[in-house]
Amino acid sequence: MNFQDLLLRAKAIGRPHQVEEELDDELQSHIALQTRKYLNAGLSREQAERQARQDFGNFELMKENCRDARRVSLVEDFFQDLRYSLRGFRRDRSLALIALVTLAVCIAANTTIFSVVNTVMLRPLPYPESDHLYWLSERAGKNQNEFTVGADYYSVCKNNKVFADMGAYDDLNINWTGIEKPEQLDAAQVTPSFFKVFGTQPLIGRYLAPTEQGTKAPAVVVLSYRFWRSHMGSDPAWVGKTITLDGLSNTVIGVMPQGFDYPKRTQIWRPLPMDEAVESARMITQPMRLISIVARLKPDVTQQQLDTDLNRLTTMIYREYPREFKAGGFLDGIKVLATPLQRRMVRDLQPALLVLSGAVGLVLLIACVNLANLLLARATARTRELAVRIALGSGRARIVRQVLTESIALALPGGLLGTLIAALAVAGLNAWKPLVLQNYPRLTLDVPTLVFTFAVTVFTGVVFGLAPALSAAGISIQEALKSGSHLQTTSRKAVRVRRLLVVAELAIALILLIGAGLLGRSFLRLAHVELGFSPDNLLTLRFNLTGSRYATAENQVRFYDEVLDRVKQLPQIRSAAVSTDLPVSGEDRFGGIKFQVSGRVPLPVAQQPQSDVTIVSGEFFKSLGIPLLNGRVFDPTDTPKAPGNIVVNEAFAKKIFPGENPLGHLLIGPTGRMHWTVVGVVGNIRGSELGAESDPLIYRCTCQGGDPFMSRMGLLVRTTVDPTAVVRLIENQIYAVDRDEPVFNVRTMREQLAGSLAPQRFHLLLIGMFAAIAVLLAAVGVYGVMAYLITQRTRELGIRIALGARTRHVLGLVLGESLGWSLASAIGGTIGAWALTRYLKSMLYNTTALDPLTFSAMTVMLIAMAAVASLIPAMRAMRIDPNTALREE
Amino acid sequence: MQRQSRLDLLQGTLDLLILRTLQNSPMHGWAISERIQQISGDVLQVNQGSLYPALHRLEHQGWIKAEWGISELGRRARFYRLTAPGRKQLESETTDWIRLTGAIGRVLKEA
Repeated sequence: MNFQDLLLRAKAIGRPHQVEEELDDELQSHIALQTRKYLNAGLSREQAERQARQDFGNFELMKENCRDARRVSLVEDFFQDLRYSLRGFRRDRSLALIALVTLAVCIAANTTIFSVVNTVMLRPLPYPESDHLYWLSERAGKNQNEFTVGADYYSVCKNNKVFADMGAYDDLNINWTGIEKPEQLDAAQVTPSFFKVFGTQPLIGRYLAPTEQGTKAPAVVVLSYRFWRSHMGSDPAWVGKTITLDGLSNTVIGVMPQGFDYPKRTQIWRPLPMDEAVESARMITQPMRLISIVARLKPDVTQQQLDTDLNRLTTMIYREYPREFKAGGFLDGIKVLATPLQRRMVRDLQPALLVLSGAVGLVLLIACVNLANLLLARATARTRELAVRIALGSGRARIVRQVLTESIALALPGGLLGTLIAALAVAGLNAWKPLVLQNYPRLTLDVPTLVFTFAVTVFTGVVFGLAPALSAAGISIQEALKSGSHLQTTSRKAVRVRRLLVVAELAIALILLIGAGLLGRSFLRLAHVELGFSPDNLLTLRFNLTGSRYATAENQVRFYDEVLDRVKQLPQIRSAAVSTDLPVSGEDRFGGIKFQVSGRVPLPVAQQPQSDVTIVSGEFFKSLGIPLLNGRVFDPTDTPKAPGNIVVNEAFAKKIFPGENPLGHLLIGPTGRMHWTVVGVVGNIRGSELGAESDPLIYRCTCQGGDPFMSRMGLLVRTTVDPTAVVRLIENQIYAVDRDEPVFNVRTMREQLAGSLAPQRFHLLLIGMFAAIAVLLAAVGVYGVMAYLITQRTRELGIRIALGARTRHVLGLVLGESLGWSLASAIGGTIGAWALTRYLKSMLYNTTALDPLTFSAMTVMLIAMAAVASLIPAMRAMRIDPNTALREE
Repeated sequence: MQRQSRLDLLQGTLDLLILRTLQNSPMHGWAISERIQQISGDVLQVNQGSLYPALHRLEHQGWIKAEWGISELGRRARFYRLTAPGRKQLESETTDWIRLTGAIGRVLKEA
């Protein structure tokens, strides 16, 4: 394309009228000259002019050919078509409005969901070559649990051939004291190589040096940017100073830059107190240290090389374990796994986001089908116009192009408005910050999102324009132009296409309805799950006792007792207790234990039964309202000197002592040191997750002391008033016992329950909204096509009525048609849902993905909706006056 | 449809004739067609339907350039002038044409 050509094109676009006029002038001038020639030859003026025009041929066609010769026509045609379309839409305002609203809503929904997907899943992590980052784990044992053992970290580090760097870490909470109000910090203990894996340099100072690792590492910490900014006023002078963590002095050695946020929300990093010599011994009598591993893949390592090496490492690790582990079944089916770090980080949201994207895509599809139907109706009405144009020499391809231009012209404003609505929705989501998105960056409508929106818009325009465009291309000129047959020309085929489209959109709407129904049912089940305790007027909070003052269990128990004494004296408090585990808190259980029932055949450790253990204070059962089923709960006779007594839950009693009275049985721990007698059985309560079934559980009492892991306990307070009103009072009582102990995670049980339902509520809300939009669109579609068919059959209905058909026959005719559509779509929709709802499985609680009740209820709902949507056209059909109807033709 | 096929047949030749006609002086469309008709002794009749698209195409290719002028009727008309690339094109096309017709003539005579 040369410059002159560009100029011509620009001229053609900028001033289409002038270019047209010039062409006109040139050709007119020719005709004038030709006319003069004929005049000179002696013809009369009239004859000369006629002859000149005749010589010239089809004036418009020639102009078209000239435009083609300049090749500006493609662009020019587009603008011409656009102008023509807009003029058309001005005549047909309701169509344009419906299209605008439908598309704006659907494109907004798609854009919003895409912006979430983009932020959470697609945007690369903010580390150099972040696609090389992996999360390593092991899977083994009967239940194929995922874990990572410290000893194996060292083995993989030394023997792998595919990773450039590997780092180990675990996360924990530490207390920051020596400041005005003690605070609980999210911390991570890491190996120095951890930072190297991410490849991010510190903003100020340095990160851990290779020597700063293991249990003998110096007390140094690295701060996160966010923590440094919010707690230290971005003051660089903090590097080199000391802060008190868990009662010990730590030197700040550096600050990481802003984007460095792993594990999520970490405020402080410090050396991981893990020693290779200790871990690699792999003693079955020693607890094994569980950690997490991040690794950076060497450049140019293929997936196949990675898999091969992981297999080799698996075999190697299996060989390194002593025989006892294998005999215990601990290593059954062991496998070393590497998951891309980003996928690991979004694992809780990924299935839901995929489902949401699918759902919102289906909504858009319905919108397309709907608009295709609307445009088809319009195309039918325009058959004559298009036929005339074809007859006058317009190419069929040109007509198709024009119809497509029209549908894109309809789609673009919808896309624009949709983007605006999406911007609002994204701002709303950012402001609301639903719990499920809390750990992710703010949503933005960035360039990839906008590109996506534009692509979706154009795609939509083409998809819903395709049916009318193809039908326009297939117009038979002779038939269309036969006089008086302007409505009858719509072929049976076109009607069939429209019926098919309606059935399709009803079927898609049914799929969404069923999906929403399943989520709704699951949500209700989860919301009304049997808790096993009363959640009202219950306040919970957590302590984390650290430092030398609480080094022994006795000191810890003394602290708890003192706090409980003081808190119980408040008049607003009915009862209070401490417990290592708080129900539905979403936290990992405090601990588990393997044991033997005394008097039964001895089993190897790995085959011994297992149970979670929770340590509670005496009033725990009373405070939560857990019923005593058998025996007794803890009482003042359970002193540290008395024999160990335990209370078990119902699930434990059923599993370990089926058909037996558990009272009086003795349990012996794996090392043989622990001897516990069952003295009572209490009701089950929900564990850490709302949806999790109650596992066997052993309760021990703080009053018997002796357990070294009681530093981190929760306080449960049953109040007589609104629990939020007494938070300050309770905190003051705690600070009165120890000024330096931070109190955190202060929540009412109601808040806690709402929080644990948050993801489900979020998914249900969105899917429900999409299903509602889908149903509404489908209803509009049914209404539109039904109204169209009735208009088509006005004459026939008129004759029927004239011949004595009752209104109820007419009504029956219309509803029968609608029922036919519904039934066809019910079949299609059910098959579709049957194929698709399996992807919902991970989001459902106690509800199968093929729940027959939901399937049938939603199908009935759809049929009813279709019937209602056809009622208005049906009413009109019943009111047809045979006189007018028959005269109309 | 028939019109279309004739246009295809004429295209190359018509372009050559237009370029040759413009070799000496700028002309407007009507004059070009008159001149071709005149010189060919009325053997060649230029189809107006092909003439203007051909002119626009040649202009687009940069071989001729259009300027507005006043026709002998005092009306605004577009005058086409041969450009330097057009002149070169005319030379090469003329050579080709002569070679082609010469060859065809020899075949017709001797084969």
